[in-house]
Amino acid sequence: MKTFAELNFPGRLIAVEGLDGSGKSTQIYLLKRWLELQDLKVYFSEWNSSELVKAATSKGKKRELLTPTTFSLIHATDFADRYERHLVPLLRAGYLVLCDRYIFTAFGRDVTRGCPPEWVRGIYSFAALPDLTFFFKSDLEVSLKRILEGRPQLKYFEAGMDLRLSTDPYESFRIFQGRILEQYLAMSTEFNFLVLDANQLVEKQQALVRELVAQRLDLARFRRAERPRTPASAAPRKKTKVEEPVP
Amino acid sequence: MKNAVKNQIVVPHRSARRFYGHGIPGVDLEQLAGKLIVVEGADGSGRSTQIKLLVEWMEGTGHATVQVGLKRSTLVSEELVQAQQGNILSRTTLSLFYATDFADQLENIILPALKAGFVVLADRYIYTLMARDMVRGMDEAWLKNLYGVALEPDVVFYLNVLPEELVQRSFAKNASLDYWESGMDLGLSRDMFDSFMKYQTAMQATFRRLQASYGFTIVDGMRPGDVVNTELRKKISAVMAGK
Repeated sequence: MKTFAELNFPGRLIAVEGLDGSGKSTQIYLLKRWLELQDLKVYFSEWNSSELVKAATSKGKKRELLTPTTFSLIHATDFADRYERHLVPLLRAGYLVLCDRYIFTAFGRDVTRGCPPEWVRGIYSFAALPDLTFFFKSDLEVSLKRILEGRPQLKYFEAGMDLRLSTDPYESFRIFQGRILEQYLAMSTEFNFLVLDANQLVEKQQALVRELVAQRLDLARFRRAERPRTPASAAPRKKTKVEEPVP
Repeated sequence: MKNAVKNQIVVPHRSARRFYGHGIPGVDLEQLAGKLIVVEGADGSGRSTQIKLLVEWMEGTGHATVQVGLKRSTLVSEELVQAQQGNILSRTTLSLFYATDFADQLENIILPALKAGFVVLADRYIYTLMARDMVRGMDEAWLKNLYGVALEPDVVFYLNVLPEELVQRSFAKNASLDYWESGMDLGLSRDMFDSFMKYQTAMQATFRRLQASYGFTIVDGMRPGDVVNTELRKKISAVMAGK
């Protein structure tokens, strides 16, 4: 497997990974704002967000129709749709693509659910590797606290209830997240994760993220080209009047 | 009492079961007592007619049956139909969507039915899905891994009908050619008739290639339906008897 840089794409892909409640979404949002404010070409894509596949996924989740195999396949379908229709074309066009979760989320979850690792990896083999992968490593207890503090209604699959780890959703969630964390840690070296301490303050983490991005990517390359000026478009259109060029 | 066994019901022989690849986690193959019979072939090859006749025959001889086919899953069939109509999905996505549809039926219909000792008649299986993708240039090894979830059937019939005849049957039935069955998405030709012939020829060549690894029974589908059915019954009887 190769990164987009190794495949000579002009664009670069940055992914964030971590447990629910690790603060990764906050971090990638702040990174996105920073890049946008520099007028760079940025695109953001979220796990499980393809319009077309979403309907099927939410039906499957609501009605608890999903097995580990179909759970894996439907998320792969969602990923492929975003990958083929958005990520690849944008990376061809020289964009900085930011992904809130990437294939490692599937590797971690599906394998925890009992799918054979080689099978899952084989399915995602059409995807290139991110150029940078940030892994927000939080203590399991800290992540759990963040998610569970409000005693939210944990969803069936989110809590890993399908694995029958415990009849208590909170206990099930704990065990499930713990196993996913193990999977992440096992992948960390293999996939060159940039590991960040997610127990630190938001600002501290973000400063490090920005520093690493600036260090590893030539950001100036992703600046939007100056748009050619179109003076006529600014003026109100009138049928009879011909626009005089501004002196 | 001497006529009691005249209408004898054959108790099927137990078959050795395996998945093509990694399979479905947590399935005990020993428990799958039923039979899985697959009928493959292009649209117009007579698949559904043959399956209908087989169901009648099976039930008449005391076997409980279940039918499955492509795009029939509870999970994604609606969305799949929708996506196909708009022709908006890219290749890998469509392929994975179909695989999801297949896996859903495999786990929720095929495997439970086999466990309950039913005869499952599949109107197409993974081979059509693989062939379609291979014709569209997708990687064979990737497809083999993906469909490694599939259970190996007891027998797979491929109803072979020449494209020239498929065209005639399609016109006789609908007076038109189907967009996908003509491979129009491939841009082989702007002429639909031309495209149909090229696409179906490529599909047949791909099936022959798949036959080498998956060992289908190729059945001459150019003959009248009842003649084909007699052949299928004979072969299925042998499978049921474990021959």
